Amino acid sequence: MVVTCASCQTKGRLTIPGEQQNGTHAIEVSHLKKVYDDLIAVNDISFVVKKGEIFAFLGPNGAGKTTTVEMIESIRTPTAGAIKLLGIDTKTGFNQIKERISILPQEFHSFERFTVRETLIYFSKLYKKRADIDEILDAMDLQSHEKKLYRNLSGGLKQRVGVALSLVNDPDIVFLDEPTTGLDPKARREVWQVIANLRNKGKTVFLTTHYMEEAEHLADHIAIIHKGKIIAEGSLQELLNKYGEKTTLYIKNCHSEEARQLLVDKGFEVHSSGNGDLTVKIDYKEKVLEVLSELRHEAIEYDGLDIRGSNLEEVFLRLTGARLMEEVEP
Amino acid sequence: MNLRIVGIDFLFSVRSWFRSRGTVFWSLLFPVMLILLFGAIFSGMGDSTYTLYVQDLDNTDMSQSFIEILNSTGILNIKNVTTNENITDYIKENNIKNLIVIPQGYESDVTRSYVDLTTHVNLTYYFDPSEQQTNQVLRSVISSVLQGLNMQLSQGRTVVGLNEQSTVTENFGFIDFFIPGMIGFTIMQQSIYGSIERNTKFRKDGILRKLLTTPITRSEWILAKMLFMLFLAFISTSVAIGVGVLAFGIKVNINLLTITIIIATSFLFSGIGMIIGRFVKEEETADMAAGAISFPMMFLAGTFFAVESMPTIIQIIAHVLPLYYVNEGLRNAMIYMNQSEALLNTGIVLVFAAIFFIVGVLLTKWKED
Repeated sequence: MVVTCASCQTKGRLTIPGEQQNGTHAIEVSHLKKVYDDLIAVNDISFVVKKGEIFAFLGPNGAGKTTTVEMIESIRTPTAGAIKLLGIDTKTGFNQIKERISILPQEFHSFERFTVRETLIYFSKLYKKRADIDEILDAMDLQSHEKKLYRNLSGGLKQRVGVALSLVNDPDIVFLDEPTTGLDPKARREVWQVIANLRNKGKTVFLTTHYMEEAEHLADHIAIIHKGKIIAEGSLQELLNKYGEKTTLYIKNCHSEEARQLLVDKGFEVHSSGNGDLTVKIDYKEKVLEVLSELRHEAIEYDGLDIRGSNLEEVFLRLTGARLMEEVEP
Repeated sequence: MNLRIVGIDFLFSVRSWFRSRGTVFWSLLFPVMLILLFGAIFSGMGDSTYTLYVQDLDNTDMSQSFIEILNSTGILNIKNVTTNENITDYIKENNIKNLIVIPQGYESDVTRSYVDLTTHVNLTYYFDPSEQQTNQVLRSVISSVLQGLNMQLSQGRTVVGLNEQSTVTENFGFIDFFIPGMIGFTIMQQSIYGSIERNTKFRKDGILRKLLTTPITRSEWILAKMLFMLFLAFISTSVAIGVGVLAFGIKVNINLLTITIIIATSFLFSGIGMIIGRFVKEEETADMAAGAISFPMMFLAGTFFAVESMPTIIQIIAHVLPLYYVNEGLRNAMIYMNQSEALLNTGIVLVFAAIFFIVGVLLTKWKED
């Protein structure tokens, strides 16, 4: 709110407590930096996370993901920069927002000799606002395991309990740091379903991961971090459009020069291979229908079609010159 | 069997072990420490002397000669008690464990025994029955000296004899000595290892990071854990006392000083655990560090054996160990009812507890660097 001083007529902005909490940003990170001796772990990064979205923070091991998320969670102290959660500066007001956030740390293991239910009850009792434990157990499909000791659970179940723990205070923002690392594909997909359900409940999810398919599957918005800097940011489609290769349509065993010329005339980039296949580069997958329509219209025959789209892996490769999983901790 | 793979694994294991300097340090130092300490205690290495107080009420050439013989054994550290001291009060006030009194008329009685074969004289030996090992050594030395003296005086007839008298009004045994020591030791172990688990394993497992983002504060967490440690301390104390009473019939006095020492001991060793956990980050290494501190302390601080029975250098070390004052305090407060000594021990334990716990809390942090 802009106000004017009655005596000197100076204009200024008056911030009313809680005003910014009604904004659209759950997380605001501005010029964040973390330096260890001569290593710059996080180098002047800025981004915002909208309320209610799943924000994937994607990068290889050692890129600065966990350092960044732990600074946002106030576990580490930034060297420079500012962080706001739900409009509140974490440097001065972190205690105010503890009730409204929840985290699943990387490689989290809870108390070994607590049962699943006891674990949830223990953490829920730390908060004033508490979600219903039975509902959480139900949502996480943990009812049949509630009496098992945590140490006796499989890796997948432990991660599910970890995510369940992040719901005990019915938070507005959930931070999940590598929630599926080390899980088998089945367990990973189970956790994905749980995370997707969080979005359905209106929660903001900050997800750090080094799995491309995880970000592709879940994220509304993706930021790619590499060597401490954000090198690309946007929705999946935006990233693919901006940094990805064009979609390639393979028209198999089509020996028609007429077809090639037709598509060239329509503005497509077309290449012929020696075995009679045509490869057509297209900007959007929707253009595939246009190509097929033209071929059908001219009654051009072919044996089959194959469409290969771009993906985040290609985006990352293009941006960094390295594959995501090749990266290692510095 | 692929020996190449075995060799590679072996080399990588050595390299991995060598990279953990803490593990190397404690793996090597710990056994060395134990070998040196136990070697010093049980192999007679170093200056093994026992303090014996002597009150010479006769103060003649012959009585002085007897004291010189005792001194010449090289085992006894003779300390003279003036003749104007009331020996019972002196023993009580100064917590004397071993004292011998040469009665007035010693020389004249010995001289008379040359002509009157029925004449003999008895020295009085005061001892603390709870310190069996010390008593055993001192009895042996004194008996040998008297045997030699009697042989010289009368070809073996007992001219100079020995009356034994306990320094305490009640007859305490080893179990009375041992139970308070075990209580102190148990609380020490629980507190150090509990504290280390909280500060290393919980850190590694991400529990401390999780807690940092919840409304619970570090102070609340530490307080809650201290309450739990106190609960454990009182449980283990009750069990030890229960066994002592039921199985051995010991008499125990639970009073304010006893309770104060138990509480202070929990805080003291939890503080030490926090300090270890702050500097030794890996759980396994921290456990070894705790063992390296607590295990020798258990033996050096008079848990199982009286400190007075150990070499002088070990006795000096014992007097800077907090567990020594815990053990002595518990014995004086619970068993011997020596309240002035118990009060002093309690004060020292409280000072240790305040220092270590405050330093431990200040050094313990949940935040990452």
